[in-house]
Amino acid sequence: MTAVLETGTSKERGVSKRPLNPWKPAKQAKEPKPVTRGIGSLNGKWGYLFIAPFFVMFLIFGLAPIIYSTYIAFFNWDPLNPGPQIFNGLDNFTNLLTDDRFWTALWNTLDIWAMSTFPQMAISIGLAAILRSKFLKGATFWRTILLIPNITSVIAIAIVFGQLFGRDFGMVNMVLGWVGIPHVDFIEGTTSSHIAIATMITWRWAGYNALIFLASMLAIPDELYESASLDGATGWQQFIYVTLPQLKNTITFVLIVGTIGGLQVFAEPLTLGGSMDGGSSRQFSTLTLFLYEQAFVNNKWGYAAAVGILITVIVLIVSLINFFITKKLAGEGSE
Amino acid sequence: MLRKSKLVSLALIAGVTSMGLGMVTPAHAADPVTITIWTFGDVIEPALVKDYKALHPEVTLQIKKSDLDPLNGTNMVTACTAGNGPDIAAVEVSYSGYWRSYPRCFTDLRTIKNSDGKSAKDIAGDYLPWRWAQGVGYDDSVIGIPTDVGGLEVAYRTDLFKKAGLPTDRAKVSALWPTWDKFIATGKKYMKSVSKADQKAGIGFMDSAGTIYSAVLNQGTTKYYQNDGTDTGKLVYATNPQVKKAWNTTISALDAGIGTRISQFTADWNVGMTKGTFAAILAPAWMMDYIKAQAPDTAGKWDIASMPGGGGNQGGTQLTIPASAKNKQAAWEFISWYLAPAQQLKVFKTYGLFPSTPSLYTDPALTGFNDPFFNNAPVGKIYAAGILKLKPIFEGKLNRAIDQAMGAGLGRVASKKQTATQSWTQVLSDLKKVTG
Repeated sequence: MTAVLETGTSKERGVSKRPLNPWKPAKQAKEPKPVTRGIGSLNGKWGYLFIAPFFVMFLIFGLAPIIYSTYIAFFNWDPLNPGPQIFNGLDNFTNLLTDDRFWTALWNTLDIWAMSTFPQMAISIGLAAILRSKFLKGATFWRTILLIPNITSVIAIAIVFGQLFGRDFGMVNMVLGWVGIPHVDFIEGTTSSHIAIATMITWRWAGYNALIFLASMLAIPDELYESASLDGATGWQQFIYVTLPQLKNTITFVLIVGTIGGLQVFAEPLTLGGSMDGGSSRQFSTLTLFLYEQAFVNNKWGYAAAVGILITVIVLIVSLINFFITKKLAGEGSE
Repeated sequence: MLRKSKLVSLALIAGVTSMGLGMVTPAHAADPVTITIWTFGDVIEPALVKDYKALHPEVTLQIKKSDLDPLNGTNMVTACTAGNGPDIAAVEVSYSGYWRSYPRCFTDLRTIKNSDGKSAKDIAGDYLPWRWAQGVGYDDSVIGIPTDVGGLEVAYRTDLFKKAGLPTDRAKVSALWPTWDKFIATGKKYMKSVSKADQKAGIGFMDSAGTIYSAVLNQGTTKYYQNDGTDTGKLVYATNPQVKKAWNTTISALDAGIGTRISQFTADWNVGMTKGTFAAILAPAWMMDYIKAQAPDTAGKWDIASMPGGGGNQGGTQLTIPASAKNKQAAWEFISWYLAPAQQLKVFKTYGLFPSTPSLYTDPALTGFNDPFFNNAPVGKIYAAGILKLKPIFEGKLNRAIDQAMGAGLGRVASKKQTATQSWTQVLSDLKKVTG
């Protein structure tokens, strides 16, 4: 009691000299402020105005292009052709479903997604757990530094990783050589090129996701850990039975956002290979790279639009699967 | 006396300056104008931009550079559709076949005159005919003026040639390979002198055997399309003997194992250049500066020999004025100045880019240009001779896509994923999807 009182007085003294820290108002505001009736009753109408900017932007930059590309997917479209475009019905879609290049790209995308997402989850949650530790010195510094990979240009990342994964003089092969593994041609191989790309993605996003996990870990009430340790749970058991179930919603969120991003991987395979086809046997051609190649190299805009629509459908399906699986897994854990 | 002479000279200077200004400054000099330029790499050289500003203080050049030329190409498509292009756009030569099909996206440079009263028609004779043709639309409109020319010769390491028991003198080296078969035979001879262990470690005669493909292809007059007067051209890639010759020559080089499997412009390539992993590169003129920058320790160990099969080209750019440009007059004034022989000579002297105006090929600045880094080889003379051997070659609409499929096909053979026959079959079936 006395300790609380003392901090109270010192803070009061502080008020007279300098303003209160705006980031820590919670302790002071013990009583909820009364809600003004007038504004409250207008909420219904004003609310629309406040959310309007997003929806107007979405209509212009989100929905309109989707409708437009759905339209051109039914044509043999050439944007630079001044004459009428040639309508070809469902041809783009039926050709696409029998196009082995499309299935290769789909498989590559899913493989790279799996290779980058699951290790990334483990690394992110691990990093967050370390950052949450009360014994960590300079926590703000470490939290900030985690964001640096995320704000680095993808092209710069690709150049550096391209050097690391070089076949003859790359550092990865140098290290593999020490343990007697012969040189791997990362770019030519299917799995090896996927590993290289997945590493780039993981490096870029693991820190960012760690911060999201950290935020939700900090929101877990201390009481849960206290009672767990009273019950004799070790640190690892606390992590498995307290932390992970509490992260249920965050894991779902990160997985869905990661899936949407992962199915649109573009810059990494483009810069790794330096060409639009994703390697000599299309071993790392992804869906979006395939789309880009169709439009800007092969001049098949309608076909590219059809690829775009299929990507949207695939993202929807995979997100739904993701959603149900994570919900079920996390749900079982918390019971 | 002193004062008088000073006055006279002052007056003289003033007179010369005003005369000079009067000659080059267009009538509307006073109006400030901003020319927007989309470019990539070092197409627009800073030293010349400075010169132009001194001549035309009213002009501001607003230069936007892309990291990669494909991105520049992408932007151009959207710019033509939306009609919001820049005043000047640099178009890389691999896009020339594509844009040739869409001349309506550009200003026809025959219809616009600079302050000297010159349109593209009047300056066409200044440029190499085959290089000029790369900027002409299917309807004969002139859509782009050539910047530098790549040229292609063989850069080789004298020290490594000596070790392998090959001649080192550039005339004797050039005599080793009048044809591509002889070039491959020389490579085999070189490889015999390389120990098994070194071969296993990736040592090769040349950097990338795949580069032979486009070198051979560009020595002909037809590539993947034949000019039939239409906007796209007629597809002949499957039957053109020149394509098959380029493919087969590259395959036999791959089979002979004379190349390392390093791709150009990768980290491994840069390191290999310093380490002597390979002894020869098919090098365009602009690559000489790259070699100097990447492998400064090898100064004096390189030399330049002529190409097997005679001459070659790689790379180059055209400066265009998109149809939607706002300052066409000022843009043409700049382009016709920037790409005139006098300015190309300065670019060559300052940056080593080879001019596309043959009148300079007899200029002492060029013929007398020896490079100490390349063992004092008369690089000016060597490149000029090769460039003059080239004939115009027709570029069709989807050249880039077909090039890409051919390159991937050779890549599959190089990495032993497929045999040459399997790969060729797949190239043809891939291309059916692309061109169909």
